[in-house]
Amino acid sequence: MIEVFLHAFAAALDPMNLVFIALGITLGIVIGVLPGLGSVTAMAVLIPLTFYMSPLAAIAFLVGVNKGGTSGGAIPAILLNSPGSPEAATTAWDGYPMARRGEAFRAMKFALFSSITGDTISDILLVILVVPFAAFALQFGPVEYTAVLLFSFALIAGIAGDSPLKSGMAIFIGIFLATVGLDPVSSTPRLTFGRIELYDGFSLSALAIGALALGSVVMQVSDLATGRAADDFAANQAETKEGRRLSAREFFSYWRTLLRGALTGSLVGMLPGLGVTLASFLSYSAAKRASKTPEAFGKGTPDGIVATESANSAVVGSNLVPTIALGIPGNIAAALLIGALVMHGVVPGPFMLTMHGELIYGLFASMIIANLIHLIIGRAGLSLWVQFARIPRRLILPPVLMFSIFGIYLPTQSLWDVGVMLAFAGLGILFSRAGISVVCTVIGFLLGEMFETSLRQSLQLYQVDGFSVLASPVAAIFLLLAIAVVFRAIWRGRKPQETPA
Amino acid sequence: MLSKIVKAACTVAALAVPGMAFAADYPTKPITLIVPYQAGGSVETMGRVFADELGSALGGKVLVKTQPGAGGKIGTTAASKAGADGYTLLFAPDSTVLWPPIAEDVDYSLESFTPIARVAMLQMAIVTSKGSGIETYEDLLAASREGKLSYADQNAISRAFVNYIGKQEGLDWVAVPTKGGGEMVPFLLGGKIDFAWSGGVHNRYLDQMNVVLGMIDAPLQRSPDVPTIQDKFGVAMPAGATIWAPAGLPEDILSQLVEASLTAAGSEAFTSLLNDKLGMPPAAVSGEELTNALAEIDSGLAKVYETTSQ
Repeated sequence: MIEVFLHAFAAALDPMNLVFIALGITLGIVIGVLPGLGSVTAMAVLIPLTFYMSPLAAIAFLVGVNKGGTSGGAIPAILLNSPGSPEAATTAWDGYPMARRGEAFRAMKFALFSSITGDTISDILLVILVVPFAAFALQFGPVEYTAVLLFSFALIAGIAGDSPLKSGMAIFIGIFLATVGLDPVSSTPRLTFGRIELYDGFSLSALAIGALALGSVVMQVSDLATGRAADDFAANQAETKEGRRLSAREFFSYWRTLLRGALTGSLVGMLPGLGVTLASFLSYSAAKRASKTPEAFGKGTPDGIVATESANSAVVGSNLVPTIALGIPGNIAAALLIGALVMHGVVPGPFMLTMHGELIYGLFASMIIANLIHLIIGRAGLSLWVQFARIPRRLILPPVLMFSIFGIYLPTQSLWDVGVMLAFAGLGILFSRAGISVVCTVIGFLLGEMFETSLRQSLQLYQVDGFSVLASPVAAIFLLLAIAVVFRAIWRGRKPQETPA
Repeated sequence: MLSKIVKAACTVAALAVPGMAFAADYPTKPITLIVPYQAGGSVETMGRVFADELGSALGGKVLVKTQPGAGGKIGTTAASKAGADGYTLLFAPDSTVLWPPIAEDVDYSLESFTPIARVAMLQMAIVTSKGSGIETYEDLLAASREGKLSYADQNAISRAFVNYIGKQEGLDWVAVPTKGGGEMVPFLLGGKIDFAWSGGVHNRYLDQMNVVLGMIDAPLQRSPDVPTIQDKFGVAMPAGATIWAPAGLPEDILSQLVEASLTAAGSEAFTSLLNDKLGMPPAAVSGEELTNALAEIDSGLAKVYETTSQ
């Protein structure tokens, strides 16, 4: 075993390989920073480049892009309050207030270091768990997924916005929006009004970027134009050394949140389909619950950034567990990786580890080395990104609008999606003015399709064998937890002088 | 002077009707090959390798554009509406082009396309997990008579064909819809469902799955001894993966494309991808043979649709 790893590290330390990892991370960060473009787009755009690389370099390059893209998404969330992708939504909740206070540099440092720590922990878990994992993933069928999702909805409703009731409502609006398109059982079109573009429902990235990023940018522009807010973001930025410093000691004083985030992200990443965004929300919610000062969340506490970024980056590594153990991609990024593997002659499947062990362990080694490179490049990048904080808002917001439209149009070349994005930007503004968390709608939409499919699958299975369906211990535990969370929220809500969460 | 004017007039005319004027030296710009599925799947992988080979056979560049959605219908609709100038092609399984016009409401039909060449045969099958103890088609029937079984389908056409078998055998199975092989595999291996329709992903799991029935009209490449739906019921799922062009292509461009597609389909890179990595037999069928085969499949699909939609 040790020998295999030494060999793998030797292969991974090949100078060409290192160059490609560094290139991948750099491109990933740059694309991730552009509002509207996330790691998935980055990978899709860059895959053709990998045809000319060796298999290991190609895969390491793409993993680098994924790592860089995931951490890069935090930059626009912090600087512009417009997360590049839904997974960075909760980074904006605390990152942007911090940046407004003049701590943009510190906030970005928190985000980057948390990303890399979460990622490293998850990479190590990947190496340890990839073999025993297969059995664990198979415990999760339709019933278990339904229960996990219900539990997640209950948790998320409790953390976002000013009232669990409004947030719950927003989540259900999201689930409703997810029902547009073909019915998963009968394949009949629903709410499509005869438009073929709606057969697959709304595009997630169009909806998410519209509601999360664009809506916020438009509101900032309108606040500036009407004089409701002063253009003082740049002037606020601290120029003193102390205002920008983040010591290792201070960073690691958040070790509980870091560890919790990394483990949450790793666990969510191992279950195919749940995805990066859920990981960041669950981790944020857990951090808020565990905190002694939950009221600081949403107002600019580093805890919120650490929780989100450590969790969403932890998904990157652990997502490869189902990919490698079962040949099942955990999300679109992993699916793209599988495509690249096939192009290079590696057929993903349960026997990938035995047949292509050298490549896979080389990949593991590359991933761990990549974290170090990520730290160096990411840190160097911060000095560049922080310059953007000094530019007046009125100059920086218009290009962001353009990039959002460009980012949605590029992958599918569909103007329809651009229209969807603009419509949801409007909805985002409306919700935000009404004090409803539009992020909840996005996450309801994001998980809604999976929720509906698992629920309907469970109901189909119920026809076969009614009671054994309910006898699953995993499902029972999550359902009970969901009920407990809801009752706790009701009980708290009845206390008269409760400060809004 | 006069010659200058004539030259200018010619240039203007050439720019105005590029399809006609430049037909002789087609292609003059990159060709788009639409793949109506998500990046990462086996059809998309095939499409990329094929596009490279087609490009070198034509002496031009062929770019793959993935337009996923609605089980392939979005990209296919887009291709049917593209200009018939040879610069937009479609790479799609026959079922994606043939089934929706029969069973659903779409804007295209077989007549909207000119088939260029069939380049691969997909390997659809009914599979069970090794842990289930169901090893053959007879085992499956016996188990179905003992208790109600559930199966995973992946789209409307797969459900229609499994239900067709159920109707013929007098059995009633419960369909559990899944979004594709990625979801089907863990459910099947984890014992959450009893059997499954597979589009070809089972070739990667032959050590953990039993293939009990081929769903196509020829023996499966990796499991040649397994009976097929064609042997048992005289119908089969369309297995071809074909290069299509919007109908109404100019004659010379069509013949150029057919020739280049056959060269690409027979290329070393493409056949080794199919044979060695995907476990799908390559094909190289074109012209009248292809048109007749598609017409036959079309009438078979109509029959299955009538039987199962009642």
